[in-house]
Amino acid sequence: MEKNSALRSPRTLLALLVTVAIVVAALLVVLSQFGGGGGGSSEDVGEFYAGIAQDGTTLGEEDAPVTMYLYEDFQCPFCGQFDREMFPDVVDDYVRDGEVKVVSETMAFLGPDSVTAARAAFAAGEQNRYWPYHTLLFENQGEENSGYVTDDFLRGLAEDTPGLDVHKWEDERAGNSFTQELGTVQAKAQAAGVNSTPTLIVKGPGGQVKIDVLKDYGQITSAIDKVNGS
Amino acid sequence: MAPNFQAKRRFSWLRLVLLALAVLGGLISGYLTWTHFAGLTPVCTGSGEGCQTVQSSRYASLLGIPVALLGLLAYGGLIFSTALWRETGIYLGFLISLVGTLFSAYLTYLELFVIGALCQWCLASAAIMVAALICATLATLPLLRRR
Repeated sequence: MEKNSALRSPRTLLALLVTVAIVVAALLVVLSQFGGGGGGSSEDVGEFYAGIAQDGTTLGEEDAPVTMYLYEDFQCPFCGQFDREMFPDVVDDYVRDGEVKVVSETMAFLGPDSVTAARAAFAAGEQNRYWPYHTLLFENQGEENSGYVTDDFLRGLAEDTPGLDVHKWEDERAGNSFTQELGTVQAKAQAAGVNSTPTLIVKGPGGQVKIDVLKDYGQITSAIDKVNGS
Repeated sequence: MAPNFQAKRRFSWLRLVLLALAVLGGLISGYLTWTHFAGLTPVCTGSGEGCQTVQSSRYASLLGIPVALLGLLAYGGLIFSTALWRETGIYLGFLISLVGTLFSAYLTYLELFVIGALCQWCLASAAIMVAALICATLATLPLLRRR
């Protein structure tokens, strides 16, 4: 009687369950390798930013009606998480079509390594390659103040940044400490009452919204809708 | 009659232990899911940075779903399986805890060799999942003897 139905045999059923479990676990492992759906590795970074206007620390069309000021620190884990998980959606949903431009405001307050990382990014910004460098810094973020921001680390990222002239970048880094830029951000942050990162300030014709506790993407969507007057 | 009675006793014991493990695991992953969505840092003994590093790493989410939430679903499934119990429930518990153990092993490997930081909550959950698999396997064995 039981021969007719393979599933009636507990051993067959168990073998089937083990197989299913292995397949499901393998699938989870494969999906996990895709990461948080971020800008991805160095090859993808060029592709991701292709066709989007970049001017120093600004990403997107100059005349975009909405501007998002992104207060961040390259060593801040939640900034890294935001950059990997939500920022690609901001770019795809709003920046590409010219609705929003994003201005990175690098606060560099977590430690000396934050300053070093910010200077390296500013130097890339001189060639309008701030954003891919920014993404690579967050993609390769290490533990806060663990000393991972070495010259070799920064140079490696520069070499991975598509379209960046590494020699010019080195010269820029050696010749300019970007003290003025860092000071300007500090003053802006103070004026806007920003005391944690990441903080987003979204400005548009309909006013401004400050997001200092970012929980989900919906907050960004509604802030943009609100300041855009829709 | 006596062996039958014995088997039943063992069954309910395992059921109770599995339920306790699932509730404990559910509390841990529930806490981690909550800190993930609230943007908080999980409380972590020692240097305190390990949990944050692991939780904010690119491996903490899978297609945008926090791994902690997957854990919560798995423990929820285990609680459901102890509620069903009998054959279907036991097999379901075995399936969930086996998937959970295999995936936890991979996550622990990531913590040790890729992320380079340990999160005690995650390790505790992995240990609970292994214990749950042991319980579920012990509960499955008597079913195999049946024909």
